[in-house]
Amino acid sequence: MNTSTVEKIIKEIQQLTPKSERHSVGSVTAVGDGVVAIDGLSNAVMSEIILFEETKGKKLADALETQGELYGLVLNLEEDGVRATILGDTARVKEGMTVKSTGQILSVPSGEELLGRVVNALGEPVDGKGPFKNTTMMPVERQASGVIDRKSVSVPLQTGIKAIDAMIPIGRGQRELIIGDRGTGKTTVAIDTIINQRNEPKGKRPICIYVAIGQKESKTARIVEQLRQENALEYTIIVDAPASAPAALQFLAPFSGVAIGEYFMDSGRDVLIVYDDLSKQAVAYRQLSLLLRRPPGREAYPGDIFYLHSRLLERSACLSEEKGGGSITALPIIETQEGDVSGYIPTNVISITDGQIFLMAELFNKGVRPAIDVGISVSRVGSSAQTKSMKSVAGGLKLELAQFRELEAFMQFAADLDKVTADRIESGRRMVEVLKQKNGAPIPVEKQVAILYAAGGKFFTDVPVGKVTAVEAQLANYLDGQHAKTLASIKKTGALSDDLKKELNKAFEQFRLAHPESFAAAK
Amino acid sequence: METAYAMALWKMVAEGMDAKKAVHALIDVLAKNGRSSLTPRIARAFLRIAQRQLRKDAATLTVARDKDERYAKAAVKDVLEELGIVSKDLKTQVDDTLIGGWRLEAKGTLVDASYKKQLIELYNRSTA
Repeated sequence: MNTSTVEKIIKEIQQLTPKSERHSVGSVTAVGDGVVAIDGLSNAVMSEIILFEETKGKKLADALETQGELYGLVLNLEEDGVRATILGDTARVKEGMTVKSTGQILSVPSGEELLGRVVNALGEPVDGKGPFKNTTMMPVERQASGVIDRKSVSVPLQTGIKAIDAMIPIGRGQRELIIGDRGTGKTTVAIDTIINQRNEPKGKRPICIYVAIGQKESKTARIVEQLRQENALEYTIIVDAPASAPAALQFLAPFSGVAIGEYFMDSGRDVLIVYDDLSKQAVAYRQLSLLLRRPPGREAYPGDIFYLHSRLLERSACLSEEKGGGSITALPIIETQEGDVSGYIPTNVISITDGQIFLMAELFNKGVRPAIDVGISVSRVGSSAQTKSMKSVAGGLKLELAQFRELEAFMQFAADLDKVTADRIESGRRMVEVLKQKNGAPIPVEKQVAILYAAGGKFFTDVPVGKVTAVEAQLANYLDGQHAKTLASIKKTGALSDDLKKELNKAFEQFRLAHPESFAAAK
Repeated sequence: METAYAMALWKMVAEGMDAKKAVHALIDVLAKNGRSSLTPRIARAFLRIAQRQLRKDAATLTVARDKDERYAKAAVKDVLEELGIVSKDLKTQVDDTLIGGWRLEAKGTLVDASYKKQLIELYNRSTA
């Protein structure tokens, strides 16, 4: 303790007037596995924060050495007491310990100060950059916005991923599930989307929140570093509930994340929140529920597992102008086992969300990345938010790819193919190549439009399939360097006028002439 | 099962039934239903309920020094009245870690006017 602190304390002691404080209390009767049974606390309410009194019977010096206050969260109200989960180190709770009711519902701090920071599920900073000074407390559990407060999704949220922006467009305020087996690139899609927001003008750029649930600390550290390197951390908040955190914190993390996001939404800003992943949150909630002795249901999940996810995802909204016009777009992630989307938790979340992006292990292993299965991926509301320019170039893309997948399967049995079918297969192969994209390299929408316009206009027909990706990258660089004005016009107007089409056609022709080697007879 | 029987016994006694009669009635019911083997477990469950109730009803005033008792009792008079506790049911104990002031725990309510609590709060405020 430094001298100034000592002086401050002496001054306060001189002015100290004894006062009493009244609390409703209970005592711990049993503790184990992060859950505590408490006798008393008759006035406690659900989701109330309770405080464990660790200083009782301790000398002042020892009491001051206690590491911070230890809180719990009431999750069960019973006849003679309550059951709560410990939000911290379980080893600090002893039988017979007094527990105080605080009368407060769990809240987390939110505000501009949190941008670029890593916090835990309680909103406490865990990145070693010091405490927050000026924040607003937001309730972790809050009623979702009602029908009157909402408006339809109309503004696109650009992911920077060609396959998604063209075929499964996402709007601001939408909830789009990212689903797939482990190691199929689910997190990559979400992180690329966050990185791509740097292409948005500052005033319209969504605040991004990445909620890591039950992830390895090393993975989260890598993501933080990647976001920092890509200059995306300055508009991103990371909520971290690692695999080593108690189940209670893993269950709470998504709610804390959305509570932080609601602060920005209420102030008229757009928010993008990624829950990575809700399968692990469901497992943490199952663990808690079983320890709380709630009756188990299917796969031992509690009966309210659907409500857990629906009340979380319903908090994503696109607010009306009267309510400030802010929005929360949610990208929940679900991990499937062996590509089975008919599991309990996947079907629950599919039915709650406004669409899903299904990533297939088979495609991933074939080198198609992002490994999106266009057949069962869908966006139910995003098309109304798609820009005119993208709509005009991506119109028949989904159908064309779906037909290609069918023909590709058929091709394995048929020896001779008629010319129309063979052409369609060749065209499909090239389209698949065009839609491939490296991770960590989101593409601005205007460039996507130009590339897809080129692909739709059979620009790549004469390019050998193996070279399409390289030629496409060359074309993108060429457009960036030589036709930046055309790209800027596409971005500004959001449409692809006849004049712009002419300019693009001219640019493609110039590129073709400059790179004749890339267009050698392909077969 | 045993908790339900013990709770029923507790309610019968609490509602004014003679304790001896209530126990005999329970033993008869258990014998009739072939559940006499539950008796020791019911007794233990009853003990737990009784202890819990005693804890709930207990009123303890903690002071830092013996000589503070009179002053503390006067200070908690209003609170005791409010909680419906008569002063003869109030137990007093000494805990020198309180440094000064007093602390009352009664009927699920804690009123803390100890110096220790205030000094800890002061320390937390100053070092935050």
